[in-house]
Amino acid sequence: MDRDLVESIVRNVLGNLEKAEGESKTTAVNKSSNGLSDKDYPLAEKRADLVKTPSGKTLDDIQLKKILSGEIDGAELRITAETLYHQAEIAKSVGREQFAKNLERAAELTKVEDDRILEIYNAMRPYRSTKKELLDIADELENKYDAIINANLIREAADVYEKRKRLKGDR
Amino acid sequence: MKRSKRFEELEKRPISQDAFIKEWPEAGLIAMEGPEDPKPSVKIENEKIVELDGKKRADFDMLDSFIADHTLDINTVEKVMAMDSKELAKKIVDINVSRDEVRELGLGMTPAKVVEVVGHMNVVEMMMAVQKMRARKTPSNQCHITNLKEHPALIAADAAEAAMRGFDELETTVGMVRYAPSNAISLMVGAQTGRRGALTQCAVEEAMELEMGMRGFTAYAETVSVYGTEQVFVDGDDTPWSKSFLASAYASRGLKMRYTSGTGSEAEMGFADGKSMLYLEARCLYMTKGAGVQGIQNGSISCIGIPGAVPSGIRAILAENLIAMMLDLECASGNDQTFTHSRTRRTARMLMQFLPGTDFIFSGYSGVPNYDNMFAGSTHDVDDYDDYLTLQRDLKVNGGLVPVEEEEVIKIRNKAARALQAVFKELGMPEITDEEIEAVTYAHGSKDVPDRDVREDFRGIEEMLNKGTTGVEIVKALAKHGFEDVADSVFNLLKQRIAGDYLHTSAIFDDKFHCISAVNDKNDYAGPGTGYRVSDELWAKLKDTRLARDPEEIGE
Repeated sequence: MDRDLVESIVRNVLGNLEKAEGESKTTAVNKSSNGLSDKDYPLAEKRADLVKTPSGKTLDDIQLKKILSGEIDGAELRITAETLYHQAEIAKSVGREQFAKNLERAAELTKVEDDRILEIYNAMRPYRSTKKELLDIADELENKYDAIINANLIREAADVYEKRKRLKGDR
Repeated sequence: MKRSKRFEELEKRPISQDAFIKEWPEAGLIAMEGPEDPKPSVKIENEKIVELDGKKRADFDMLDSFIADHTLDINTVEKVMAMDSKELAKKIVDINVSRDEVRELGLGMTPAKVVEVVGHMNVVEMMMAVQKMRARKTPSNQCHITNLKEHPALIAADAAEAAMRGFDELETTVGMVRYAPSNAISLMVGAQTGRRGALTQCAVEEAMELEMGMRGFTAYAETVSVYGTEQVFVDGDDTPWSKSFLASAYASRGLKMRYTSGTGSEAEMGFADGKSMLYLEARCLYMTKGAGVQGIQNGSISCIGIPGAVPSGIRAILAENLIAMMLDLECASGNDQTFTHSRTRRTARMLMQFLPGTDFIFSGYSGVPNYDNMFAGSTHDVDDYDDYLTLQRDLKVNGGLVPVEEEEVIKIRNKAARALQAVFKELGMPEITDEEIEAVTYAHGSKDVPDRDVREDFRGIEEMLNKGTTGVEIVKALAKHGFEDVADSVFNLLKQRIAGDYLHTSAIFDDKFHCISAVNDKNDYAGPGTGYRVSDELWAKLKDTRLARDPEEIGE
């Protein structure tokens, strides 16, 4: 794998998406239940009122002509934490608990920048990190991004990696 | 010995070139029911699983820990584990036991138990179970689009034709890694030209695959591999936790994804721990379920040479598809990499998924000639289209393809290549010439198209990436050059990530970007006359193949 190429892609994508992230950070995430179920699916058709872009626009606002004229930025073509919580609720209504949990982790990660996501992913690969490095990442996710489920997943990983000798230096 | 002429003739048959080996359980060369597979067991103390399939918690490896803590339902597991395996197998096949009831049982079985349960079934019973247990009611199909020359216009033309023929998902990959962005863009533009709403992916290394999704060059990902032993998992440079994080990373960008696993991968990588292929695959599937991923590509996939060589291996492949479905996972059910020289074997292998129907019967069918297939070939390819359409017609089965006219195929191939020419021009990529467009419009494969200047292509790709190009620039390029309809399709594909409806289990889009998944198209099979049935409208199309003659024209 061409590492330089990957890194160059990361940097470039970042430049295009940071704008929207800045905007989404300002809104408080609504995790509360809306009583959604499979009857509200697909959300885009049945509950478009609940679906917003990172800057708060509706799906109807997102039109081809506005993209072409530059009135709407490509960074708007992105899911928000709120929408992921809605989808998680629908997933639970059809008995998909683990999948719903994945969507809730994803909701937490909407606030994390693309390059940081890739760094964290790589740090979680075997033999990449010390236990402390993993625990620091968990703290960062919890304190900086309010990403509690992800933080706990990484803490759990740190314990298992220690036990199974998959930390940095164990090879 | 004086040779028998019959045996001499048999030796000339293609199947004689296939590799078959006798079982060797110590090396993992046993499909299912391995003598060293653990005996099913589970123990719970203080709401925690403390024993799993004969192992105490202190001895758990990574997969055991993950499955115990993230997958199994501790409220039901002791009850289900106490049930007789043959009785459980009967429930799975029984049309009077609902899919919902069976999927609850699935989370109450350990990997060793589920393998024991499906071990009671023959392939016809497994097909009955697949018909009931697949997540989406409507079956579908996926194809591969690649070529030896990594020719972008040929990828676009082939993608357009494949999408028009009915594939709901299209997958490309690379011979040379640096072509990945070019192939992904070509596939997306071609597919949206052929049929609005078709989903596209590019299989490359994990981090890069995610990047291309973030940029809007792909709509979903599949090549996120998981393995059934800890050593092979780690050799694959991941853990269940890193892979779980990756799954959430995709969803956080509104991108659909599934994992990939398959029987034989552990034996091929030399660390099967003396366990059967199906037992190790069951561990992959329980890990996948625990990670919260909506689906899996399995069915041995790139390791099919291994189960294909041992007794009951093709049965084990059907069994692994079934276990995925029992866990309520979307299943893209293999039938891809070539494993035999025998046309009889390849058709028989495919019928296991084709007849009951799966979320994606192939993953994928080669939408290019086999020599152009960069996934080490596929069991069926473009030269088999008429055979495949005829099987659908003979058996009244929806295998995901529809008959098409030569004239409309030529037209759509040409349009896709021209649309991509415009995109390349605007993105500052090396020119696609009119001569190349003419060639790919009528080509059978890459032998019929001019070579690309590889160095120039690499330079163009690099520059295009450095400019920060995303899917939005592709939309703008298409609109600027008069391909408003394709621009609108690509735009709508990008727009889908805002709502995230297609993150759900077994999601695909129809040509109006209406999302069809196991949420609003739940499989409700409960015996004859229920579940998926070929509609009259579709049947009229499936009957009308290119080879079918009109009686009124005969004898004139």
